[in-house]
Amino acid sequence: MSAARQIPSLARRGFLQATGGLVVSFALFGTSEAASSLLPIGHVQNPPDAAKLYAWLAVHPDNTATLYTGKVEVGTGAQTALAQIAAEELDFPVDRLDVVMGTTSQTVNQGPTYGSMTIRYAGPQIRAAAAAGRAALLEQAATHFATTADNINAKDGVFSVKNAAQKTITYGALVAGKQLDVTIGATGAGFAMKVAPQAKLKDPKNYTVVGRFVPRKDIPAKVTGAFTYVQDVKVPGMLHGRVVRPYGVNATLISVDESAVKSIPGFVQLVRRDNFLGVVCTSEWSAIKAAEALGAVLHPKGPAAYPAKWSDWNGLPAMDDIWNVVRAGAGKTTAVANTGSVDNAMGDAKRTLKATYQTPFQMHGSIGPSCAVADVSKDRAIFWSGTQMPHEDRHDIAKLLGMQPDQLEIRWFEASGAYGRNGLDHAVADAAIMSQAVGKPVRVQWMRWDEHGWEPKGPPIAQDLAAAIDDKGKVTAWTHHMWIPTFLDTTLVAAALIGHPNRVGSVGLGVPAITYAYDFDNADVTSHGDGRVALRTSWLRSPAQYETTFAMEAFIDEVAAATGEDPLAFRLNHLKDPRAIDVLQAAAKQYGWQPRAALGKAPADGKPAHGRGIAWANRDDSRVATIVDVIVDPASGRIRVTRVVVAQDCGLVINPDGIRNQVEGNVIQSISRTLHEEVMFDRANVTSRDWIGYPILRFDEVPDSIEVVIVNNDPKYPSYGAGEPSTCPTAAVISNAVFDATGARLRQLPFRPDRLKAALTQS
Amino acid sequence: MTQTMVINVNGQDQTIEAEPDSMLLYALRDNLGLHGPKFGCGLSQCGACTIIMNGVALHSCVTPLAAAQGQKITTLEGLSENGKPNPLQQAFIDEQAAQCGYCINGMIMTAQALIERKPHASRDDIKAALQGNLCRCGTHMRILRAVERVTTPQAQQGAGQ
Repeated sequence: MSAARQIPSLARRGFLQATGGLVVSFALFGTSEAASSLLPIGHVQNPPDAAKLYAWLAVHPDNTATLYTGKVEVGTGAQTALAQIAAEELDFPVDRLDVVMGTTSQTVNQGPTYGSMTIRYAGPQIRAAAAAGRAALLEQAATHFATTADNINAKDGVFSVKNAAQKTITYGALVAGKQLDVTIGATGAGFAMKVAPQAKLKDPKNYTVVGRFVPRKDIPAKVTGAFTYVQDVKVPGMLHGRVVRPYGVNATLISVDESAVKSIPGFVQLVRRDNFLGVVCTSEWSAIKAAEALGAVLHPKGPAAYPAKWSDWNGLPAMDDIWNVVRAGAGKTTAVANTGSVDNAMGDAKRTLKATYQTPFQMHGSIGPSCAVADVSKDRAIFWSGTQMPHEDRHDIAKLLGMQPDQLEIRWFEASGAYGRNGLDHAVADAAIMSQAVGKPVRVQWMRWDEHGWEPKGPPIAQDLAAAIDDKGKVTAWTHHMWIPTFLDTTLVAAALIGHPNRVGSVGLGVPAITYAYDFDNADVTSHGDGRVALRTSWLRSPAQYETTFAMEAFIDEVAAATGEDPLAFRLNHLKDPRAIDVLQAAAKQYGWQPRAALGKAPADGKPAHGRGIAWANRDDSRVATIVDVIVDPASGRIRVTRVVVAQDCGLVINPDGIRNQVEGNVIQSISRTLHEEVMFDRANVTSRDWIGYPILRFDEVPDSIEVVIVNNDPKYPSYGAGEPSTCPTAAVISNAVFDATGARLRQLPFRPDRLKAALTQS
Repeated sequence: MTQTMVINVNGQDQTIEAEPDSMLLYALRDNLGLHGPKFGCGLSQCGACTIIMNGVALHSCVTPLAAAQGQKITTLEGLSENGKPNPLQQAFIDEQAAQCGYCINGMIMTAQALIERKPHASRDDIKAALQGNLCRCGTHMRILRAVERVTTPQAQQGAGQ
């Protein structure tokens, strides 16, 4: 295991060693083109007043408009969908509506961007603000034409007087560059904020923009290189920082020999505060070399073999023991379902089934490691960040720096997709500390090993399930106990490393992430939530529910197989939720499902075997059912998912292609998590430090097809989330298909070839 | 001291003052302000930094700047003319083949090099070429379709139907 600490195939290292540190660079920017791309630093401002129309909308003289939202784009297309919602209510062309997101001086705090909650909660806020905006502009147009508002038409950004074809004015000309200083009202905060409560909303029957394909606003710039990610931000006078993290998770920094880096051309300063160590240089390359010289790559020679010497801390549990540690947590027990008497039913049963499911630490695995730019001076601090929670970070980072939130501004730029809280917030804290120390703007770019090693992980989860079957083959009892460490940890790595006296953020307890909807007479579904276990954790796409759905829906399949029933029919027979039934039936219809019990026979002659699986989930009111075909090769132990059918009901659809894109992404990412992903660690720290140590799915394993069926897209339902739900069923559906193909039950993620081969010998 | 080096990027000679042992990626991004190529791993494992040098797709994070002198380098920015996307970039727009988009530079540059070598590449050819490029959002199906819009235009499909 510890061998994984070594970063393999470091081609770059060869060049480093060959050339040494012989040269100096002072030139930050070689051309005027680069210099002109510097972003201005400017001043700090507080967020606007949510009760004012200008906090949400601006209309410009050229008849373009801007929507302001505290939500951010994380690659899911929410920016475009929110623009559709606003354009619809405003009767304004969506392609002329720009969206400014996240920046704390320009937007209202609508809560963090996570949990597939942007369209669901921010959508209605923006819808109401835009409707109030339209009403206010309509009044203005009525005054302009000396008539009444009900005598004015609004269409595509133009007001016209009814039955007077020549009397028209664009929104832009009407507003004439003025700020929309209209009070629309707002109460509450974040997700629960109510905006413009008096606004009259459009009847969904008349929607022309919502529910239609609108091309994503961000894609053209992303495919031509014109897009500015947070990783691309440069500000005047900016220096480059790199972090040097502890060798072991809680190791202490014994000493740093600065002479090891002083001679590196471009070296500016070491930043040491307790166990926080960073290096600041004039160029990226200098900073990379300096951090490496200090041992940032965690070379295999051990904690004290490099100029930054760490204590030999080995306090992590052994990897094999992690689920015992998880179970031993003294956390909070929550009853998800508790009906009848499970004990009596188990006692009376003719047969009982029991199974244990185990899932490991997994990581977000952003392709672009976290990055932030900070400019901290004595009385104010400005940050350029890709965080999913800029407004919350403003408060946390203020606390870190001992400043007030109104002295801080976070300017949001999109980052590489994070799928939860990765290292982005932590990079802000790192940049804050380094900029504060050197008194200049500092850009901190985490290296690959920093991101793999120190991004907060999705937690390991242990689950025990049991079922009782009576002499008529009826399932009489169901138990499901899950041990879930926290995934709500918002504490900052840097705050811990500098030994910050006040807690910054909170750790929380694991919460039950499951919707139990079966109708067994006796049921006990219980969650044991715990605090941090071993490694820092955070939200990772469908937090804990990907794991709990794996156990629940795979064990349902085990029970269906034990009773000899078709796995679809078994589910339908035990569900009353009409929307669950809708997605299961829609997926089955698209797939062409023929009723039969799972075969579950060992493949003859060790030849590749085909199987099918089905599973479903209710993730925060969205329903999703997935069916897959797999080919299992007993010789190699490899599983390939060949066909995927997903039926999803997330209520009223804003942009159908956005939903499809999200479902395809969830499916592929969760196939990757299911087949490949497990964070490796030794007693000191994470050892999965690159893409070889933490492999993810590549093109050779992409399914032949992913078919997406959208169900219950109807205004009678609100819009629920689409960014996560289709991750939930994937591990279960693959496990079920592997059983159908081979008779082997896979109950531990990931389904690596060695695990499949072991399971085949047991089946 | 820094060294003065000349590299030919997107058809223009560019004079750069930088450490000769540094990698091409940082010269493109920091000296020339070309943000198409991305830093992903610095280990030649993910493909986010891909550029085309003399017709070959290369990982600029492990290409020494010194080795790039006098070579013809194309970045993502160099594919479009006057801001107009080239056919492959347009195909990515038409297929809505991006989510966060951070990997897309590598996908387009790798596929562009393939298309220049093999204009009618098959799906298997495309998969093989892109095997070294990681996408975490799971946009693979759309990326394949986007490339196929150029290699097999008769099989076009559109987004948003």
